[in-house]
Amino acid sequence: MKENSAEDFDSLFIKKKSNTGIKTFLILFSLLILGFTGVYTYLNVGAVRDRMKSAQAKTEGATPMSPSLIGLQKEKAWYESRLKMANSDSIGLSIDLENHLLQLELKGVVVLSSKIVDYSTSGFFKRMDGNVYFSMFGTPLTIQKYESSIEKNAFKVVQAPKSVEEAEAAKTKKDSLHHEVFWTVKLDRDFELNIQGIDSVTAAQSKYQLGKGFEFKRDLNNIANSFQHILKFQKPVYTPEILISIPANEAKAILNALPRKALVIIRI
Amino acid sequence: MIRNLFIYLAILIVGVLFLGYMILFGIPALQESTIVLPGMTTQVGADEVGTNKESLEKEISKLKDKLDKFTPTEAYIIINTNDNHFYLYKNKQLIRDGLCSTGKNEKLVLNDSPKEYVFHTPFGVRKVLSKQKDPVWAKPNWAFIEDGMPIPPPGDPSRFESGTLGKYKLTLGDGYMIHGTIYKRFMGMSVTHGCVRLGDEDLEVVFNTLAIGSKVYIY
Repeated sequence: MKENSAEDFDSLFIKKKSNTGIKTFLILFSLLILGFTGVYTYLNVGAVRDRMKSAQAKTEGATPMSPSLIGLQKEKAWYESRLKMANSDSIGLSIDLENHLLQLELKGVVVLSSKIVDYSTSGFFKRMDGNVYFSMFGTPLTIQKYESSIEKNAFKVVQAPKSVEEAEAAKTKKDSLHHEVFWTVKLDRDFELNIQGIDSVTAAQSKYQLGKGFEFKRDLNNIANSFQHILKFQKPVYTPEILISIPANEAKAILNALPRKALVIIRI
Repeated sequence: MIRNLFIYLAILIVGVLFLGYMILFGIPALQESTIVLPGMTTQVGADEVGTNKESLEKEISKLKDKLDKFTPTEAYIIINTNDNHFYLYKNKQLIRDGLCSTGKNEKLVLNDSPKEYVFHTPFGVRKVLSKQKDPVWAKPNWAFIEDGMPIPPPGDPSRFESGTLGKYKLTLGDGYMIHGTIYKRFMGMSVTHGCVRLGDEDLEVVFNTLAIGSKVYIY
């Protein structure tokens, strides 16, 4: 029978010491993640709550509303806003999420009516009270900024041909490329309206699962934005949003038809 | 040994779960899950609600009537330049719709001049200013430039073409018109220089339905 030597005993001790090191590292690593998660949560929640507080602060002193009349008051505000839009000279957008309708209106005439296929709104809109609702949607909103996957009212620049032969050769060919249509507008009450053109809800969902499509890119951007701010110990920017899915050709038509500072009215 | 492995695994799982949570928290729906806002708590007496309800309903009804008056009862036409489709209405009812052709959204840049021509159907509301049967097309300069031909002097016979605009034309101002076409294969496409082209049968109905002063909504 072999006896344990002093060397064997030392080697066992060293091995045990190294295991403890890894364990300590892992525990510290987990604690670091936990700490970072805590900061992340705190700052994210803080950003959302700050936005809510600022929205509520704007309605301080407003007359309290009766819950039983809120529906009628919303309807009244909706028609008042549409009338204001009708009196303006340009094309405007009315979004009726209650009736799943998105309409392009020109001088009070509905020129395009699009059935909303699907929509989602930020929790901000689901939890706002009556006064906040009217401060946000009680009057027409104005578009501040556009971003879109396709160029709005794209113009093709053509050089005049120098001869009949050159003119024949340069006969225009129709662009048959299919582009995904989605566009985002920033509205003057500090929230975003996202419109995406989709063929079907199922197709849009499967795109999302494959890491494609407008919604996925939007979520990815939000995560990246949050991380960037939190790494600097800053509160991330929180912008409530409304995402509406309508048929692609209608999404494109509306994008092209709306002027740069178009009026938008919304009923939720 | 196995016990240690389990410990490491557990720590790693916790770490990964927290990391996952952080990523998910970046998505607005989860980010907002912590918001709690007070709802509408102010109540009013039952009678007051009744009175307010009646007056609100009356106000809404008036507003609806006002808004409704913006839609003409007489005939009007809506042109969708994106889909190249027209919709003809009379008495607030759709009476006909079909394909049309609208502006090709093109800028023609000249070789020897800073001038450029924009071929686009302008959006907005216009009115039918005049109606004409068997119109003759007075070809503008761009028609010659585009074909690589020399520009003839004004009044030159080569400027006038019969039949190109179809059987009817309705002028909308600023040189824009609703007219027919000999290029029927391009119907439903954005190919024009800004005018709205219709097929023969549609054009006849539109010509007979719209009066001078009828509104044309273009988007």
